Amino acid sequence: MDFISHDEKTIADMLKIINVPEVDDLFQDIPKDLIIKSLNISDGMSEPDVLDKMREYGIKNKIYPHSFLGAGCYFHYIPSLVDFVISRSEFYTSYTPYQAEASQGYLQAMYEYQSVISRLTEMEVANASMYDGSTSLAEAAIMASIISGKNQVILIEGVHPEYIDVVKTYCWGQNIELKITSEDKLNDVLSEDIAAVMFQSPNFFGDITDVLVMSNKVKDKYPNCLLIQCMTDPTCLGLLKPPGKTNVDIFVAEGQSFGISPSFGGPGLGIFTAKKKFLRKIPGRLVGKTKEINGEREGFMLTLQAREQHIRREKASSNICTNQALCSLSALIYLVSLGKTGLREIANQNFQKAHYVKKAIASIPGYKILNKKPTYNEFIVRCPNINGLIRECKKMNLLPPLQISTYFPEMSDVVLVCVTELNSSSSIEKFITAARLAINNETECAN
Amino acid sequence: MDTNEFLIFNKGNELVQQNFIPKLDIKSEKIEEILPRNLIRDELRIPDVSEVEIVRHYVKLSKINYGVDSGIYPLGSCTMKYNPKINEVVARMTSFSQLHPLQDENEGTLEILYEISKMLGEITGMDGFTLQPAAGAHGELVGLLIIKKYFETKGIIKKKIIIPDSAHGTNPASAKMAGFSIIELQSNEHGEVPLDHLEYAMKQGDVAGIMLTNPNTLGVFDRQIKDITRIVHEHGGLCYYDGANLNPMLGICRPKDMGFDIVHLNLHKTFSTPHGGGGPGSGPVGVTNEFIPFLPIPCIVSTDKGIICNYENHESIGRIKAFWGNFGIVLRAFVYILSLGADGLKRVGQIAVLNANYLKTLLKKKYNLPFDRICQHEFVLSDKYLPNDINTEDIAKRILDYGFYAPTIYFPLVVNGALMVEPTETESKNSLDKFVEVMYQIYDEALNEPEKLKNAPSNTPIGRLDAVNAARKPILHD
Repeated sequence: MDFISHDEKTIADMLKIINVPEVDDLFQDIPKDLIIKSLNISDGMSEPDVLDKMREYGIKNKIYPHSFLGAGCYFHYIPSLVDFVISRSEFYTSYTPYQAEASQGYLQAMYEYQSVISRLTEMEVANASMYDGSTSLAEAAIMASIISGKNQVILIEGVHPEYIDVVKTYCWGQNIELKITSEDKLNDVLSEDIAAVMFQSPNFFGDITDVLVMSNKVKDKYPNCLLIQCMTDPTCLGLLKPPGKTNVDIFVAEGQSFGISPSFGGPGLGIFTAKKKFLRKIPGRLVGKTKEINGEREGFMLTLQAREQHIRREKASSNICTNQALCSLSALIYLVSLGKTGLREIANQNFQKAHYVKKAIASIPGYKILNKKPTYNEFIVRCPNINGLIRECKKMNLLPPLQISTYFPEMSDVVLVCVTELNSSSSIEKFITAARLAINNETECAN
Repeated sequence: MDTNEFLIFNKGNELVQQNFIPKLDIKSEKIEEILPRNLIRDELRIPDVSEVEIVRHYVKLSKINYGVDSGIYPLGSCTMKYNPKINEVVARMTSFSQLHPLQDENEGTLEILYEISKMLGEITGMDGFTLQPAAGAHGELVGLLIIKKYFETKGIIKKKIIIPDSAHGTNPASAKMAGFSIIELQSNEHGEVPLDHLEYAMKQGDVAGIMLTNPNTLGVFDRQIKDITRIVHEHGGLCYYDGANLNPMLGICRPKDMGFDIVHLNLHKTFSTPHGGGGPGSGPVGVTNEFIPFLPIPCIVSTDKGIICNYENHESIGRIKAFWGNFGIVLRAFVYILSLGADGLKRVGQIAVLNANYLKTLLKKKYNLPFDRICQHEFVLSDKYLPNDINTEDIAKRILDYGFYAPTIYFPLVVNGALMVEPTETESKNSLDKFVEVMYQIYDEALNEPEKLKNAPSNTPIGRLDAVNAARKPILHD
């Protein structure tokens, strides 16, 4: 199936108009020895055959009905209308809205997305989206370096390990020096030469930072040093003080939690926001409200494009072109579907349920909660028998929590537990039982 | 039509039943008792709107938006082909959409990633692929970082990249992000790379290589491509292929055979995954054997234990995105390749070129065609010689009045007043003929009723918008 509608006669008619005898003649500019005979790829397949084949791949993936795994990718409920709206083909089969008059629907939706993100984060400007949380953080580091003219940035431990790796790669590309430090030692590395301090809150281990304290610590001494916060599950903003209220200069987040399926980690959504004074250094697209040239009606269009690569080429603030527009539409529909009441309740449930599990696990002898600060929907636990816990979870059809050793080999007996609104009391009780059973099986496992 | 549909924020604040949150079935505590007050948010200015209102609002907005399913979308260099619906069905299968990136028991997905890497290798000739990059420009950055790392590893300092003036804007921007400066090369009178200038530039010594798209943005296949890559290699440089224009080459010829070392593809162009209004995309990067060690981590490799992910790669440029790239998009492209097979892919290349040449032959009867040659996937008209001071923007806006989308305008920069047209293979002859008819009619209007073009669009939900004011006093949210 090739989705082409020409029959042989049509092709012959078209060739006659072009005035060449054969289709092959259209490739006359290509040196003969570069033309290949055929591709070594199997024959095309019909829809039912493709679907059969894809189901075969699918059954080799195990999907669990309940999960205690998060770590940067989260299971939250997605209202049915989200997929319905983004499946309107006028949206999903359109290109970047360069022709504003034929793209008002999407442009307005993008403007609404920027608005709803501004409202949620209380940040003054939000762009129309980036690839994901990790690349947004890396772009924020570069932006800070451009703004300040300084090429050193500090990253505080506790940022998602994969994000740190991405930031490292981007910084190496731009010859920016990245200094990684703990929060306690921040003062030792802060200096006039630092463009920005980057941190995550709630962080990878679940800890919630008092951001205002942090920003005062940085800004009192170095008022021009930028504060960059990142976040991997921004549903917490229904409960926690937003970055716009804590003097954060650039706030970025992974927006997958807002109505986007896990889908093996992508596509997600890079949320990128900043203070207004940095507007002209922001990477990515921006949609603005304006008026007709010869009229009074308001409309929407891409704006401040002089920052972007298609106009500025190597002087652009970033190379980003294609972003995650359709995912930003999912986020918009998700956020307005929940509304303020729903967003507060989602955050409350994530917090309450995780807190409940945390307390229950802490009460089982042998388990130790390692977080020293308050947490939202994730926390870390030292386990007496980590392999037993993973095995018991799977037996009960629960997707087990992350073994922290994935990223930190020295923490071999620690898991990162994630509890969301989708964890019903029955799945929670199963998890607590699994944790208990893991201890009983300790000897068995040691063998 | 009611044009400026009220913003969603102006709707709500009704009494709305919360339908999307499960019942809280555990014992809860007072938040203030377990979380310090100073960490808790006060106001949240997002309205509560009912489901019916929301659906109607966005369905209404969708009706004032144009997609490929609405009609021809002749945006040059964007490859707006039909997006097969089966791709969407597969991407929504629970076994893929609900798979967590950090879980094991994911063999089905790893196999798919491995298989499509092989397929893309066959299509481009390349020996290894990464599927991590989230978009074309992201792929370019990865490719340029590989070049940077390659020379760093060898202890050679190379600071410049050659980029022709016809290149996509992302090329110079990506090279800059990888720390390179740019040498811009002017195209010659055929729209091709002038070999003498190329050789001169390469002789400067600190040139890491060239970024090239072939066919280029004029839709022209560079006949001297083998000489170009030879010259660059002879002077110790590397050749990067911008795969944005790969569509007409499918099953016809391959970047590696042209002499390229590194290539990125745009799955959201060539491999039919939807553009989604500007993403999400996917920009896999393929390399020849020599550069496989530099690919980003993690890599998918086949071992005697099955297909696994490799995180250990000491020469790797590092990680460039969390998790695995845009798997949901890669999956759609995989379904597309399975559906088409080898013969289907070749037909894509052939018919994409047939359609472009057909349109070009008919449109050049009325419009200026600066580079009049057999074209590949696209061609570029200009507004030169149009009567009554009619310019490219006027033409584009008038096309919207006839219910079609406009071509890419004012790009490539090498043609003044460019109108860049790429029909793709999925347009029928009937659809192309209708577009030609409209373009002829617009030409007649330019002659006889120029005000219709100057005032265009008049048949869209809104008239021409004030871009200057939008940028001077930006209003970016409500």
